[in-house]
Amino acid sequence: MKVKEDYLREIKERAEKALNKKALLGPDVDLNEFYLCSSQEEVDSVESISASLREAALYAGVELEENKSSATYLQVDRSAVYQKIQDAFQGKLEIMAVSEALEKYPELLEYWWGLVPVDADKYTAFSEICPMEGYFIRVFAHQKIEVPLQACLLLSEESRIQSVHNLVILEEGAEANLITGCASVRGNESGVHIGVSEFYLGDNSRLTFTMVHNWGENFHVRPRTVVKMGNNSFYSNTYVLLKPLSSLQTFPQAIMEGENADANFQSIVFAKGDSYIDVGSSLLLKGGGCRGNSISRVCAADSSKVYTRGKLISYHDEAQAHLECKGILFSQRAEIISIPELEVHGAPRSRLSHEAAVGPIEEEAVNYLRSRGLSREESLSLITRGFLNIDIPGIPVVLKQYIDEVIRLTSRDIM
Amino acid sequence: MLEIKELGVRVGGEEVLQDVNLEIGPGEVHILLGPNGAGKTTLLMAIMGMPGYEVTRGDILFQGESILPLTVEERAKMGIGMAFQKMPVIPGVKLKTLGEIIVNGGSSLIEEVAEKLNCTYLLERSIGLGFSGGEAKRAELFQLFLQRPLLSLIDEPESGVDLDNIALIGKALSELLEREQVKTKKRSGLIITHTGYILEYLNADVGHVLMEGRIVCRGNPRDLFVDIREKGYQECLRCER
Repeated sequence: MKVKEDYLREIKERAEKALNKKALLGPDVDLNEFYLCSSQEEVDSVESISASLREAALYAGVELEENKSSATYLQVDRSAVYQKIQDAFQGKLEIMAVSEALEKYPELLEYWWGLVPVDADKYTAFSEICPMEGYFIRVFAHQKIEVPLQACLLLSEESRIQSVHNLVILEEGAEANLITGCASVRGNESGVHIGVSEFYLGDNSRLTFTMVHNWGENFHVRPRTVVKMGNNSFYSNTYVLLKPLSSLQTFPQAIMEGENADANFQSIVFAKGDSYIDVGSSLLLKGGGCRGNSISRVCAADSSKVYTRGKLISYHDEAQAHLECKGILFSQRAEIISIPELEVHGAPRSRLSHEAAVGPIEEEAVNYLRSRGLSREESLSLITRGFLNIDIPGIPVVLKQYIDEVIRLTSRDIM
Repeated sequence: MLEIKELGVRVGGEEVLQDVNLEIGPGEVHILLGPNGAGKTTLLMAIMGMPGYEVTRGDILFQGESILPLTVEERAKMGIGMAFQKMPVIPGVKLKTLGEIIVNGGSSLIEEVAEKLNCTYLLERSIGLGFSGGEAKRAELFQLFLQRPLLSLIDEPESGVDLDNIALIGKALSELLEREQVKTKKRSGLIITHTGYILEYLNADVGHVLMEGRIVCRGNPRDLFVDIREKGYQECLRCER
């Protein structure tokens, strides 16, 4: 007990000291300009979820319908309003509000702030000082859950901060597909979303994680994600952002400690308006035979500015990974800045590579499609959708179709 | 069907075609011959209305109306289709997806046409990505089959294609252009060929030789080929004079 209290006090103290610590990347957000978000009533069935919340979830790729997922977690503002595991999956996994999980399983504290430093910056610190739930998911050892799990985090009130802390544990040999949708409800154009996510992948486990964001135009979003990977584990992380917002900065990291771990990050971004977007991923290849990819597809229109980063760090001779950034510029004022970093430390036989290409849409391709009867706008839209449509290794067909559908739905008014 | 009158076309500031006159009736298939750089592709591109091919004089009439004011897509919708010499690469856009857009759904038709052109395995691939010469030509024809244009503009259907595929392409073209039908022919074609192999499979009505920016000779396509093979293109100019 004493140990637990000491640990909690220590992280609280570290957080307090970091409350004004600016993040290394992205524009600084004055959190004092926003209010804390409120509590919301729980609902007892999926049918009781309001149409506006349902719509917001849908635009973040989450269908709040019975039997659409193996398990569902819905958070609105600071409250877990709905959580359910379908009967067929009872006993195979757990899904609940993180505060409930920490109370029920005190031993989870060893995972709490175990990967993301609480004092990394003011956003992580804020998340500790003003906790506002988040989801806890655990898939038990050797359970293979093909039907996706859904977690949806919505913000309904104007000018509020939502700070969530998510914890996901896949025990040895467990497999799951997690879809997370984060969005503001229609009409809510300003706010801040801070999302701390700590994922622990046991030996021989597989997790595909797909995150779709859909925020109002004056939103600031700061996800902080770290994944720890065991032996022979597989992780695929696909991030999709196709709507304008004020600023987004995220740089998730996979710490590949086990042998033969395989991590794949895909960022799919269409930046519009004045969006300031700083995305990427980092792979820390520590175990022998570790491999991975960090891939981004970026379209920048209007006056948007997009940084795409990738960092591959190898500590093992048998590690290999690839970094790829492709960008299309749609306007004179848009900017894409691609920053690749490859680091090898004491492992001269590591194989790290990167390629990048930024340019306009090929007119030859546009005119080719026009010769088939498509208008210029239809051609541009089709080429853009194709460009954003990455071949993602290792994900189930159903999830691939889901990502295609999200891109199709959210890019209808892309031009 | 198609009437080209005193056509001049400029590409990248250079006058490529000066005074082209050409007429293709309904159900007729014409062959366009000429040395490299004569402007054969430019003529097809100008008829299709591709940007960058600027008409400086003359007119192009399709079904009796000038199509010069029309955009590429408007011409496509009127019934003009083109199989390009070079297929662009469009990553992530599957051949099947484009096929579905062309026919507005219709997956059974897509499968049927793909099978006919030995393209079924290409349907799920990105347009042009890693396609061999023969695959690209078959994929071009696949799209034309779905479009079913009244006028098909076909740029070197046999270049970079092995002999087996030439037979397949030749037969497909013959079907597309309804060459086997005796009375009801209404689809026309203008085909650029260097080798003439395609004539083995396709009965063409008229051949034209394009040189120095204009049509310098017309006649039976097979006879023209024999003459050119024996005497070269320069003879066409001398003969004309």
